Amino acid sequence: MDERYYGTFGGQYVAESLMNTLKELDAAYEEAIRDPKFIEECAYYLKEYVGRETPLYFAERLSREYGTKIYLKREDLNHTGAHKINNVIGQILLAKRLGKKKVIAETGAGQHGVATATGAALFDMECTVYMGAEDMERQALNVLRMEMLGAKVQKVVSGSNTLKDATNEAIRTWAKTAEDTFYIIGSAVGPYPYPKIVKEFQSVISKEAKRQILEKEGRLPDVVMACVGGGSNSIGMFADFIDERDVRLVGVEAAGLGIETGKHASAMALGRPGVLHGMRSYLLQDADGNVELAHSISAGLDYPGVGPEHAYLKDTGRAEYVSITDAEAMDALMELSRLEGIIPAIESSHAIAYAKKMAKTMDRDDIMIICLSGRGDKDVHTIADYLAGKGYQN
Amino acid sequence: MNRIEARLQNLKQKNEKAFITYITAGLPDMAGMRELVKSCEAAGLDILELGIPFSDPIADGPVIQAASYKAIRQKVSAAAVLAEVQTLRSEGVNLPIVFMMYYNTILHYGVKNFVDSCIRAGVDGFIIPDLPYEEQGEIKEAIAAAESETEDACRVPILIQLVSPVSKERIPMLLNGARGFVYCVSSMGVTGQDAKFHREIDAYLSEVKEISKIPVMMGFGVRTAKDVASVKHKIDGVIVGSHFIRLLEESGYSTDTAMKYITEFKSELNRESEEL
Repeated sequence: MDERYYGTFGGQYVAESLMNTLKELDAAYEEAIRDPKFIEECAYYLKEYVGRETPLYFAERLSREYGTKIYLKREDLNHTGAHKINNVIGQILLAKRLGKKKVIAETGAGQHGVATATGAALFDMECTVYMGAEDMERQALNVLRMEMLGAKVQKVVSGSNTLKDATNEAIRTWAKTAEDTFYIIGSAVGPYPYPKIVKEFQSVISKEAKRQILEKEGRLPDVVMACVGGGSNSIGMFADFIDERDVRLVGVEAAGLGIETGKHASAMALGRPGVLHGMRSYLLQDADGNVELAHSISAGLDYPGVGPEHAYLKDTGRAEYVSITDAEAMDALMELSRLEGIIPAIESSHAIAYAKKMAKTMDRDDIMIICLSGRGDKDVHTIADYLAGKGYQN
Repeated sequence: MNRIEARLQNLKQKNEKAFITYITAGLPDMAGMRELVKSCEAAGLDILELGIPFSDPIADGPVIQAASYKAIRQKVSAAAVLAEVQTLRSEGVNLPIVFMMYYNTILHYGVKNFVDSCIRAGVDGFIIPDLPYEEQGEIKEAIAAAESETEDACRVPILIQLVSPVSKERIPMLLNGARGFVYCVSSMGVTGQDAKFHREIDAYLSEVKEISKIPVMMGFGVRTAKDVASVKHKIDGVIVGSHFIRLLEESGYSTDTAMKYITEFKSELNRESEEL
């Protein structure tokens, strides 16, 4: 089997000029993860700098309310407030190993941009983050944070001025500058070997969670759940459970205003296989094969494609993919805040909302682990607008 | 013989270099595009690269991106462009036409179905910048199937291979079985970077020229015949994209401007080659 593919998904749909770069990256990565010094260095920064391991918290009041045992994997407690930093630490150490002094990244909501700017500051690298003009306006505070961290935020005005276009621009720049620049992709997307690399660096989530649940409950969970945009927190949350056939894996996409309205971000609900950003996967597209804009209240899920391994897990039936609307996610956000004193990111709230539905089909003693991928601090403006009935800009 | 191969063989016999331009399909509108294509042919253009607009053109710089979005807003689709090419052929246009497009457009259309539609319309080749050698199995299979099904195999489009300044040890693999011409990308990155060629352009072109059994064309960032003066003894022709689009945009898609540019470029390209 072609290692670049997950079934019929994945591959390397990039310009010829990037093929040697990808080969070099794959070789460097394979060498690094077999090098005890590299593993040790990653582990050091994840512990001392990021603050791992993160707790697997038994949400007692939420469990009582929803009717099954719910554990939250607290990725929101990481430095910079989300799981994104796990991958950035790994990739930036890889960049360092390759002797690159410059890094670039794409960002939508700004979380991956902030994480990359943070890593670049820590390792003294020149950092440019590509961000759509519209997202820069929506997420002005994250732009400021990145600039404070010493990164240059490059405004992208092409296409729809959002994450999809920021990613195009980052790929274009990378094609031009790959000889001295490392591209830190933030989600489990892009050409091979990126989906594999991102999965490996995010798999720390499920490795910890598995050990923690065995300690606490003495058995594996019945359900593991996470939200899916490009799919980085979910693939990290699933990784170590994929071979545990009795554990149900559930990915929650954003249904925006409702799948039936066409204003959604559920690539796997209605998308068909296509090629975008160097990979073949499920993709939202119009009748002519042009990529359609995704819609979600959550900027982090606002992406028209999905990582190729998720497409494969869906087609093989190993994981189930469902979707949650903006309104359902916002209700869950408020509910978790009140019941547990945890304000989740709107992205993660999609998983909480589906947990409520799914718990109805589960027993009291069943166990569900939800990846709480990020905290909601970044979302307070969006939440305020939503509560004031003003909706949101998209 | 395929129109591309026939034209390039003819040029070789005359000891002339080829001139190729890119235009975005459907601009200024479909009728205007047909006029433009006819003017290009009349001006002596050797091959036309016809860009099918795509929403996410990652190999293109700002000029072609903008043209692409404009065409999409005008609802220019692959199916509509195929119909226009068919009309042009029925009106007697014999200029070799190569589609420059992104792979998703073909996938969405259906690979085999697309190849068959291109045969019916009279398209002579494909340039697909996001489909590197390793991902070409599917389309090559469709092309091979079409060749065995079609009575006149020369009407089946050719898949043009792209080579980059950093392809290095990949070059023999890329050229193995390549047909039509080799598209040598002159710089890293995207189209339209104003004659900023790769620092190792000389060695790179020499290497490709030495290995290649088919004509070698250089593209990306070329504006005038002067831009390529120093390397043109190593190439068999030149491709101009972004600069041509810019001229068309600035002149309101004037066919006179297009014809003048093509005529002058071609004559300068070949006049100087005689001097060498």
